[in-house]
Amino acid sequence: MAAPVPRRRRRPRLATPALLGLPLGWLVVFLLVPVAIVALYSVDVLSLFPGPHSFALGGWYRLFHQGYMSLFWKSAKMSLIVSALVVATAYPLAYFLALSGTRRKYVLLLLLIAPFLTSYLLRVLAWKVILGDQGVINSFLSSVGLHPLSFLLYSRFAVMIVLGYVWLPFVALPIFVTLDTLDRRLLEAASDLYASRLQAFVRVTLPLSMPGVVAAFLFVFIPTVGEFVTPSLVGGTSGYMYGNQIVDLFQQGFPDWETGATLALFLIAVISVLTFVFVRFLRLGEARVA
Amino acid sequence: MEGEPFERRLSRADLLRLAALAAGAGVVAGPAAAADAAVARLTQESGRLQVMDWAGYGNDGGQAMFAAYVHQHPQNKPQFTHMTSESNALGQIHSGAHPDLFRPYVGWVKYFAKSGLVQPWNPSLIPNFKHLNKFMVKAGQFNGKQYGIPDDWGFDSILYRKDKVHAKEQSWSLLFDSRYKGKIAWFDDLEMITIAGLYLHAKNPWNQTSAELSRSVTFLKSKKHLARLIWASEADLDQAFAQGDVWIAYAWPNDWVQMKAKKLPVVYMHPKEKPIAWVGMFMLLKGTPRPHLAHAYVNAWSSKKSGKWLEDNYGYGHANVQARPQSSQLLRALQLTNPKAVTLPNAYLDRDIPQRAQYAQLWEEVKRA
Repeated sequence: MAAPVPRRRRRPRLATPALLGLPLGWLVVFLLVPVAIVALYSVDVLSLFPGPHSFALGGWYRLFHQGYMSLFWKSAKMSLIVSALVVATAYPLAYFLALSGTRRKYVLLLLLIAPFLTSYLLRVLAWKVILGDQGVINSFLSSVGLHPLSFLLYSRFAVMIVLGYVWLPFVALPIFVTLDTLDRRLLEAASDLYASRLQAFVRVTLPLSMPGVVAAFLFVFIPTVGEFVTPSLVGGTSGYMYGNQIVDLFQQGFPDWETGATLALFLIAVISVLTFVFVRFLRLGEARVA
Repeated sequence: MEGEPFERRLSRADLLRLAALAAGAGVVAGPAAAADAAVARLTQESGRLQVMDWAGYGNDGGQAMFAAYVHQHPQNKPQFTHMTSESNALGQIHSGAHPDLFRPYVGWVKYFAKSGLVQPWNPSLIPNFKHLNKFMVKAGQFNGKQYGIPDDWGFDSILYRKDKVHAKEQSWSLLFDSRYKGKIAWFDDLEMITIAGLYLHAKNPWNQTSAELSRSVTFLKSKKHLARLIWASEADLDQAFAQGDVWIAYAWPNDWVQMKAKKLPVVYMHPKEKPIAWVGMFMLLKGTPRPHLAHAYVNAWSSKKSGKWLEDNYGYGHANVQARPQSSQLLRALQLTNPKAVTLPNAYLDRDIPQRAQYAQLWEEVKRA
């Protein structure tokens, strides 16, 4: 007589929806519903002021015809430069931590993220002390007989350097994780096949770490393109960004929630498209590597 | 109801309670005490007073201004929410916030009074009201009703370093002087359009014609590159000025006091086109459940003691004409002995901007240009 086949314990049908319910509910309540509300404000279906109002595309017309797009490009360019430079700076750092074989890598990693132990505002304000006309850099320049640099503070440069500093740990972490989990046998194989260290890096390490690089890039680009705190503290007249415009439309001068909501929605749309494109690019890259 | 303009009706339960109280008190202490008890019961408003005010005027530094209120009403201490601008307050109120009172500046009195969001005060419930500056009191009126109770006041003018800046004349032109490119700070408010209008001799800078507005905006755009900073927070301005990052700034009297305290050689200008005077105005929200507490709070703010404290510590004037600061310099700079300091011929009192939404759009256009 054949031994009885052990009965498989059936997974309750409700397990998956129950597990997914909370995060999905969270997403719906705190992301999709607010975005829908913002969308309704952008077409004047919802309005801050009581009284008759109906569907209108005035906000969208103003977005494309009143100089908001040039401000968006300016912010996007600043954000792209910051993201690229920070990724370029963070990569060697993460590479060293992950692949140098140092036993203190987690201690060093902790040091890298140590600035997070202080407040964001304090970190940004500290840069004012460094970059001001009588700050650390300009005082040094004056002491050696050089002319102080006025572009250091209240400028696009100031915004970009502070954003870079603030987001560097965020960039280093995902790259570190990708490199740290890299299968070292692939590098050994490359070496066995007479690949130089540079070739091994270009053909093996870099492609395999691209998911971390792309994630890191997005981690910086997404928040910085809509940033408004840092520009308002160190940006001055020339460092004014798209995010500042959105805030001002909601609460400066006279509330214009319709245009403000339109600008916010446009930003969300651009970021969503960019994220989608990056992810597609990443999958294509992974397929090629495989 | 004359002298009692609050939107507060007696419910049947209130009437029953009032009758019971009156009867009880009447038995114990006679008719007069019964009336007092009834009034006291009716005015017993529950919950903490909700105040919407600017940073620095609540429990974050301004406690001395309402200490008398807290002493009298320890069970109804004020609870604060912040407003960052009148526009921000308007947005908050329209989207559900319901403070008992808030504090816009004089240029918004007409707008809020017409909006239906606020109700008039009853000055007879504010004993210190009689000590308030008559011109400021009048500026708080709309259609003969007292919608705004004046409190702090000051000027919008130019602060500059006299060791670094050689002003050709005492004029708003210093904000647009190309000799000081990169050392000038403007203010982040549509009032910059009013100032441009003043400087360019618009007939009514607060209500410019389309041609005048276009000229003001073009002018501001052409001069924006001279400004290093457009400040929205006074703390940012004070830091930039104190560190020497800017030498010329659109500023308030408090900034002058702060820079003097840092021993900086500064001048607070009286421009030939005249400074703009502003007055803070307490406004009472329509339908507030705590109108008497709100009056008591404003009365505390309106006292001579509070006024002196404000002048000594914040460097602004106070509407109570009996309040005098310790500093004779501040007394002179604000002309505190001159009851007409905020009006012509000394200054333009800030006023309603009928095309406020358009001014706001144009100012945003200048900033993003």
